[in-house]
Amino acid sequence: MSILEYNGAAIIAMAGKDCVGIASDNRLGIQFQTLAMDFKKVFKMNDKLMVGLAGLASDVQTLDQLLRFRMNLYELREEREMTPLVFTNLLSNMLYEKRFGPYFCEPVVAGLDEKGQPHIATMDLIGATLSSKDFVVAGTCEGNLYGMCETLWKPDMDKEVLFETLAQALLASVDRDALSGWGGVVHIITKEGVISRELKGRQD
Amino acid sequence: MARRYDSSTTTFSPEGRLHQVEYAIEAINNAGTSVGILAKDGVVMASEKKVTSGLLAPARISEKTYKLCPHATCSVAGLTADANILIDQARLRAGRYAYQYQEPIPIENLVEHVCNYKQAYTQYGGLRPFGVAFLFAGYDESHGFQLYQSDPSGNYSGWKATVIGANNQAGKSLLKTEYGSSKKDDGDEMKTDDGPEGGIEMPDVAEATRLAVKVLNKTMDGAVASPEKLELFTMTLDEDGSCVHKILNEAEAKAVIAEVEAESASSGDT
Repeated sequence: MSILEYNGAAIIAMAGKDCVGIASDNRLGIQFQTLAMDFKKVFKMNDKLMVGLAGLASDVQTLDQLLRFRMNLYELREEREMTPLVFTNLLSNMLYEKRFGPYFCEPVVAGLDEKGQPHIATMDLIGATLSSKDFVVAGTCEGNLYGMCETLWKPDMDKEVLFETLAQALLASVDRDALSGWGGVVHIITKEGVISRELKGRQD
Repeated sequence: MARRYDSSTTTFSPEGRLHQVEYAIEAINNAGTSVGILAKDGVVMASEKKVTSGLLAPARISEKTYKLCPHATCSVAGLTADANILIDQARLRAGRYAYQYQEPIPIENLVEHVCNYKQAYTQYGGLRPFGVAFLFAGYDESHGFQLYQSDPSGNYSGWKATVIGANNQAGKSLLKTEYGSSKKDDGDEMKTDDGPEGGIEMPDVAEATRLAVKVLNKTMDGAVASPEKLELFTMTLDEDGSCVHKILNEAEAKAVIAEVEAESASSGDT
């Protein structure tokens, strides 16, 4: 059993035209036992930036709190908001600091940069970053997620099409994975703000 | 006499004084004035900006007022370099508390932490004290809006209204007569908090802002108040219950200054 598969998760981020979307499932379990169907894995950092955290639930929550602390400090000192690229580098740095006793977490970053262009990235648990133009995934059904995204993604999707694509890719992927699912949530970030929608999926 | 006992922070004088701490307080009396006033729906802090040169690049947002966390801001009087260290300490403390307890730090807790840090420089290490006095304005759920003042000794106290920096005694005496005075009073007795009749009635934020400008007019003695010289800060709550930290822009500051001028003209003061 891998510690990264203890609680279960599925996260996707996709780039659209002047928008990004990030989606996650809702399950929290301890191995085969499901404990919650409303466990948050995607966290809003500011109006243009969200981060999804897949992996050990305790580290998911701790990293969210730590990132919030670091972002607040940055905003107080710099008197401006952190950009997605800087955030990604910060997160990578924080993970590598624990190189020999890591956080068991694989994050997915989704945001709009200062010019309103999409920025998505993922990294492994020790901070090796992978930036992408189309989509990034993380979780216990990574293979399924990659397959669905590769099939469904197309360039320059607007926010409604992006939502549909994310929803279909996520729901189809988690159905074949015992450790993720129980519904999902999709967030679409545009320059106007964030719109979040709950997904109804198979409750098993 | 003081010569023998004043060059070390860690030595008391025979009269029981710490001269280095007192000299630090003197340093602050040359700095730009800051006045803080507690209102029933918020806190107001007004500061005098000492413009040393027209060639200076504009400061970040302010050289006097600094946000410490979502529900606290401070105003500085004294050595800016010293203040920067303490402000960073305060920000770290507020952030760590919020990380540990997932709750906003109580204001007195934050003030006490900064003050304990300052106090260490009056007792250990042979280092000089910080030459800064602060006004802290904050909000927490247990005690609502609060205003605190701290000085280089590490001492702090909560206030309804107070002044730090140049001419603070003149400012404080004006506040003694004017703060919480109801319109009927002739205002020359000191107000005490005895009860609803003849007691202090807290102003609202708008009134407090005008009073703050009035105090600065007095402490800046003679200089004409203008938005370039004054910085007006208010802290209030919005409908969701979160703190709004606002530094008035040029137009808003001009409006308040004009109101104060009109008030003093109509009441016959020169």
